[in-house]
Amino acid sequence: MATEIRIEKAPPGPPPGPVRHRASWHLRANALVVAWLAATVAAALAGDGLPAPRWLLIHLFLLGAVSTAILIWSEHFTVALLRARTPEPRGSLTRLGVLNAGSAAVLYGVAAGPWPVAAAGAAAVVAVVLWHAAVLAGLVRRALPGRFGHVVGWYAAAAGALAVGGTLGGLMTAHLAHGGMHERLHAAHAQVNLLGWVGLTVLGTLFTLWPTVLRTRMSERTRRASRTGLRLAACGLVLLTGGLLADLRVPAAAGLAVYAAGAGAALVPLAEAVRARRPHTGASWMLAAGVAWFEVSLIADLVIVAGRPTEQVAAALEPLVPLVLAGFVAQVLLGSLLHLLPAVLGGGPARFKQNAALLERGWPVRLAALNAGVPLLALPVPEPLTLLGWALVLASVAAFVVLAVAALVRSAAQGHPGRRAVASPALAGVVAGCLLTAAAVVVAVTEDTGPAASVTATGARTVEVTLSGMRVRPSVIEAAPGTVLTLRVTNADGQRHDLRLATGERTPMLAAGQSATLTLAPLGEAVEGWCTVAGHRAAGMTMRIVPLAALARAGTGHGAHDPAGQARSSDGGTAGGTDSDGTAGGTGGTDPGAPGLDPAAPFSPGWRPYDAALKPAPGGTEHAVEIRVDDRTVLEVAPGVRQRMWTFNGTVPGPVLRGRVGDVFTVTFVNGGTVGHGIDFHAGANAPDTVMRTIDPGQRLTYRFRAEHAGAWLYHCSTMPMSLHIASGMYGAVIIDPPGLPRADREYLLVSGELYLGEPGGDRQVARLREDRPDGWMFNGAASGYDHAPLKAKAGERVRIWAVAAGPGSGTALHVVGAPFDTVYKEGAYLLRSGDPGGAQVLDLAPAQGGFAELVFPEPGRYPVVDHAMRRAEAGAHGLFEVAAR
Amino acid sequence: MTWWSVVRFAHVMGAALWVGGQLTVSLVVMPLARRLLDDGRRATVMRAVGRRFGLFTAAVFLPVQLGTGVALAWHKGVTWASLAEPGYGRILAAKLALFCAVMATAALHGWASSGGRPALARAAAVASLVGSVGVVLLATALPAT
Repeated sequence: MATEIRIEKAPPGPPPGPVRHRASWHLRANALVVAWLAATVAAALAGDGLPAPRWLLIHLFLLGAVSTAILIWSEHFTVALLRARTPEPRGSLTRLGVLNAGSAAVLYGVAAGPWPVAAAGAAAVVAVVLWHAAVLAGLVRRALPGRFGHVVGWYAAAAGALAVGGTLGGLMTAHLAHGGMHERLHAAHAQVNLLGWVGLTVLGTLFTLWPTVLRTRMSERTRRASRTGLRLAACGLVLLTGGLLADLRVPAAAGLAVYAAGAGAALVPLAEAVRARRPHTGASWMLAAGVAWFEVSLIADLVIVAGRPTEQVAAALEPLVPLVLAGFVAQVLLGSLLHLLPAVLGGGPARFKQNAALLERGWPVRLAALNAGVPLLALPVPEPLTLLGWALVLASVAAFVVLAVAALVRSAAQGHPGRRAVASPALAGVVAGCLLTAAAVVVAVTEDTGPAASVTATGARTVEVTLSGMRVRPSVIEAAPGTVLTLRVTNADGQRHDLRLATGERTPMLAAGQSATLTLAPLGEAVEGWCTVAGHRAAGMTMRIVPLAALARAGTGHGAHDPAGQARSSDGGTAGGTDSDGTAGGTGGTDPGAPGLDPAAPFSPGWRPYDAALKPAPGGTEHAVEIRVDDRTVLEVAPGVRQRMWTFNGTVPGPVLRGRVGDVFTVTFVNGGTVGHGIDFHAGANAPDTVMRTIDPGQRLTYRFRAEHAGAWLYHCSTMPMSLHIASGMYGAVIIDPPGLPRADREYLLVSGELYLGEPGGDRQVARLREDRPDGWMFNGAASGYDHAPLKAKAGERVRIWAVAAGPGSGTALHVVGAPFDTVYKEGAYLLRSGDPGGAQVLDLAPAQGGFAELVFPEPGRYPVVDHAMRRAEAGAHGLFEVAAR
Repeated sequence: MTWWSVVRFAHVMGAALWVGGQLTVSLVVMPLARRLLDDGRRATVMRAVGRRFGLFTAAVFLPVQLGTGVALAWHKGVTWASLAEPGYGRILAAKLALFCAVMATAALHGWASSGGRPALARAAAVASLVGSVGVVLLATALPAT
């Protein structure tokens, strides 16, 4: 028996009114699908102009067009196959409305808006499909047993798959998982949605649709094949999703293989039908080609999942997505609509024929174009061929959209003769006039975006850019106009990112640890940059390149010996230089968009705190040390905030020197940096002229001093302006033990320092330095670092905390919450000794002072160590002692 | 007050008369004619009104607007190249393009009404009216001269 699926055959004998209503309901609903398809084509044409273009294209198509189509047609087929009563149209319309609203929310939320919008949209989509599944189940329960009930199982399983996939997608929009987990979530989301929601629906539908399209009989073996196929496919999908999420490669691959076996079983009766009757219409050829691409992509998918770790699956699937979307999903959708739209449009046999002829117009060409284009999208062919592939596919889809719109409009006009009156000539005239005016206004207000081409290059500079933890570091790059910037972009995160600039330069998608280099045109206007991965721009992965006329002036005023376009001359900088700079910087005194610090946020995976544990002084009285300037180090100075710092030996603070009174330190100081630097040891007594002089990059000097006095001493860069050099991280501690210093169970060193965000020497940092407005405070070079990596101690142990205040502007009021100090030694003298009746609550240090305090933790617990100037504690001068039981 | 004020006065006045005339015909004359006159007489009257307005457009309005417009542009130092520059030039270019489109629609209206296509004629008339309001909008957007 040929299963005719026609609106006209709606059971059972309803009055004419409701039938018309239902036909128009389908008409309107399919208009939604066509509208989403049109939006997809538009998004493909708009290309890189959109935020997250690739994600938008995929989701406009799958979440918009395909999900709407599945919702409409799976319900319709269920009703038709079960010969059941149509569910309440109001419910169907509500589901459709909520699905579309949810999809729109997801699209908006991910592409532009705050993530909760997207998450709420995903929740709405999940709720709708669960409702949809419940409605289908209700229909099955109420229906008489029939030959086609098995198909509904596929639809219900598909809805379950989207519920899972949508939930995974919602979790991804919330950025709950990072790194490898995020990638696995991504892979599972893609697999369960494509293979489950789309794949199961298509396979289930083909059981009845395929014989109808071929106008042949349904195979006798269909029902058995369907049951076996569904069981295998559903089990395989569960295994695949679970395996991907749990990082188990073998179960995931096995699950996919089981799914493929299920799909194969389901396709057996379809192959039999082909043997009975060859495809002869556009619809049948398109469906057949779509299923063939489904098989191809399943095999490729299997190779990918079996062949690599689960966190690399999502990235490897990337090139496969266009093939699945265009070859399988789009083709099956177009084929089905090609067959079904004339029936939906109705209007009697003559009208049916007319519409079918209209929709099938030129189908061999469209079919050939689509299927010639698909492999070009997936294969690693040169760029022009990929574009050709897109052109072929999109032209084919667009041709269908145009024909379908024509058919829809024609039917709508014929179905509602009254509607012609609405489209009056006056209305048409108003629309035409408004369009003309709007076009003219657009032309009038368009600004040229390409004046950058006329900027002459004045210098070159390379900037390290790091992508990590939903941040681009540095988030602001300042350079003199005309500077040719080269960005070395590194993805230091566990998940994929890229960087795209508003001027069009972009890196490829970078996997964890990969780098790419972007060379920009001479800097003219301010340029925005962002990560194009869906949702990352909204989450704050943005940057800005700002031209600063002030920088150019300052540079030329001092001989422009810094082609890097940085704010100042670093060697021999004078007060005058600082002033002219500062005034210029002051004009931009507002914060140019540096994100605030979030002390509670996690540090990037792999971050290691500066080791605060202080080793005892080595033996001997002569100490030889090499200290090398590295002013290109990128350090994580606050949770998720990585930026370039100027350092001694690559750390902030620099290496600790420890000895006893009378020891001699011979320091070989090497300037391995990019500008002039010097060094000043407070612990020594030398004339500054020679040893503290500024040396140029590549030079070295020997700094020899005898530590005549005990204490906790600061050393720092001695090059003007010192505020800049110290604020950028160039400081460290020298510990000279007082004679007779008793042994402590543990010794820690905390060097407090101010944190200024932004490029060292950049205009922003300089401006804020002059205003004395640090962005945060750090112990040992990381704001809140020891909150995330607590210092260890045991109850009852004597703990000695050495402290040095590096500044440059602020000292510290070191306090341990819950444990008073019984010993305080500050600037060469004991203020308090253990055994004295008194106690101390704070070790107070002015900038560049040092000392130590001792305490005994009374009992196990977590004791905060803070700068009791609470504003500083709340902005990073905060850590924890984790005290265990003895 | 210079002679250039007079030229500008003529240009603004011409535009006001033309747009105002269209508005009067569309919003006042047409509805009243539809209510008060039978079909035959209304067609005669409207055809006469249209012909007279077309004559006014071709004989007075267009020469005045083109002449004063070109003179004002010359006075302002507008060149072909400057029409492409963002700001004054770009707005002026858009305004001229829209004006040409409006004139084309007006011509279409004339052709359609004499060719017995009332729907097209009406659509063209309304489009021309809306477009000429758009021209005025762009004119006000031109930075003060």
